Amino acid sequence: MGHNNNIYKPLRAKLTEVINESPLIKTFVLIPEEEFSFKTGQFIELSLDGIGEAPFTPSSSPLITDRLEVTVMKTGYVTEIMHNLEPGAFMGIRGPYGRGYPVEKFFGKEVLILGGGCGLAPIRSLLYALEHISDNLKKVTLCYGSKTPSDCIYKPLFNRLNSIKKFEAYRTVDQPDEEWNESVGVATKLLDKVTVDIKNSVVVICGPPIMMKFGTIRILEMGYADEQIYLSMEKNMSCGLGKCGHCMMGEYFVCKDGPVFTYSELKNTPDIWK
Amino acid sequence: MQYKSIEKKEWDKALERLLSSHTIYANVSNDFGQDYELIEQTDIPRITYNKPKPATSLKNIFLPVKENVTTDKAGSKSRIIIGAPNCDIEGLSILDEIYLDKDFTDTFYKKKRENTLLISSDCFGIQEHCHCLSYNIKPYSVSKGDLAIINLNGKIIFRVITEKGEDFLEAIPEAVACNDNSIHDAIEKEQHSTEALLTEANKGLPDYEKTGKIVAGANKDIWEKYSAQCVSCGACAAICPTCTCFLLIDKPGFEKVKQLDACQYPGFERVAGGEDALFELHNRFRNRYMCKYVWKPEKFNSIACTGCGRCIEACIGKINKNELFMELS
Repeated sequence: MGHNNNIYKPLRAKLTEVINESPLIKTFVLIPEEEFSFKTGQFIELSLDGIGEAPFTPSSSPLITDRLEVTVMKTGYVTEIMHNLEPGAFMGIRGPYGRGYPVEKFFGKEVLILGGGCGLAPIRSLLYALEHISDNLKKVTLCYGSKTPSDCIYKPLFNRLNSIKKFEAYRTVDQPDEEWNESVGVATKLLDKVTVDIKNSVVVICGPPIMMKFGTIRILEMGYADEQIYLSMEKNMSCGLGKCGHCMMGEYFVCKDGPVFTYSELKNTPDIWK
Repeated sequence: MQYKSIEKKEWDKALERLLSSHTIYANVSNDFGQDYELIEQTDIPRITYNKPKPATSLKNIFLPVKENVTTDKAGSKSRIIIGAPNCDIEGLSILDEIYLDKDFTDTFYKKKRENTLLISSDCFGIQEHCHCLSYNIKPYSVSKGDLAIINLNGKIIFRVITEKGEDFLEAIPEAVACNDNSIHDAIEKEQHSTEALLTEANKGLPDYEKTGKIVAGANKDIWEKYSAQCVSCGACAAICPTCTCFLLIDKPGFEKVKQLDACQYPGFERVAGGEDALFELHNRFRNRYMCKYVWKPEKFNSIACTGCGRCIEACIGKINKNELFMELS
């Protein structure tokens, strides 16, 4: 929601810490001036005063309401300026918007997560949420791919996940360096080494469009049904309110009807991977 | 249906009085034809009645091309709009669905809707590209807007549609009940004759639902053929009563300016990484048709094309959507 009953007005948030995750990716730790809560997978519009605004899914736990972490890849005009920010600066937040991950539907099941690049940001938030309800889950498996070892974000996360009961985490890179001793190849290659109970599981895919496309194809080949696959779609969400039209994908407003969709909802929509 | 009437010269005097307390927009004749204008006393003789149609649509009176949506500078003066054809009145319905959506109400739009009295005008006669009736929209309103206006033989007749309209007329003592059947018959005759003209002019044009099927089934060749003359100027969307896509522009102080945008402009759907689902011209061109005839009908209850024909008139490439539909039907 916007601030003070105005859907367009951002809530101010103070930047308290900037974490370097990779040469192109930083995490911004923000303290909103008012309590701010979201459901995992929902997104916010994060703005730079007088400069611009862009949509991001928070990477922090949805259980924390006094602090928010947003992981941002330097990829365009707004994010490039964001990357120059230092603690003490103020940013604007609107949201949360859209439909996040329906974690209550994951109860009693295995959750297989396929992530790539900066797509691990929403997934980290989801992992925190799943950790909180892990008693109700069978298993959580994360398969994550990035271009190079230095592009791998949240490095401490993987050791921690592997130490949590029911959680398994695997990483792969396209271009290894001499020190890399984990898998090599695209993220979907990791699917060959995981064991999953396909009938009793759901799949979450979040990453760059090319990975989303080939990830979904591979997952379907494995025998998953369309409605078991949850995709986090990336479009040019500008208003976040289902009004401005920039994120229309077929009859859907990605900002309001998504950004999380099942593949069964999208499979007849053209150009979803663009 | 309740009717009231007032002598034309008394109505003009009433408008003079109303101008002191209201902001009045009216469909007036100008050097280029006719259009909605913010009027002053000297403009009253220029108000046109029952003649289709203003060059631009009603939407910009509710959704300005550019509007600061974080600082409320809008005046609280009540507004009156006089002379909107029914296609424009119908066009407001989908705007209401979008902007008064209970999840995210645009309070700027809401305020403008609430403080505006809407007086539609029955269309007597048609313009070259008018095709409202093909989409089941009558050239006169009996259910939307607050009042409908008819200028007949030196008299102004009002069809009373809402309580708000009734209250407005109560405050004009010169407006009296009109139970003269000969006047009702004369109005009905004009309405029927306009409907006959629309039917004749649009023979063979598919209705809204059938158009949706045609658009959904059209192949790339059709979109390439018809978009060949498109220069992505966005005039079709700018002039359309139901196209309201916008861009939010950031201003210092975390202020936001909402500016009308169009899916016909390159880069409309481009994301920061460079992916752009509407990169190709024929895809952008197709997008607007899919939006109006296929996607919006799945999402909203109101019609997303009112058949006003303005997009045909505005196109500098002389693209006529109805020729496309006729070719495929």
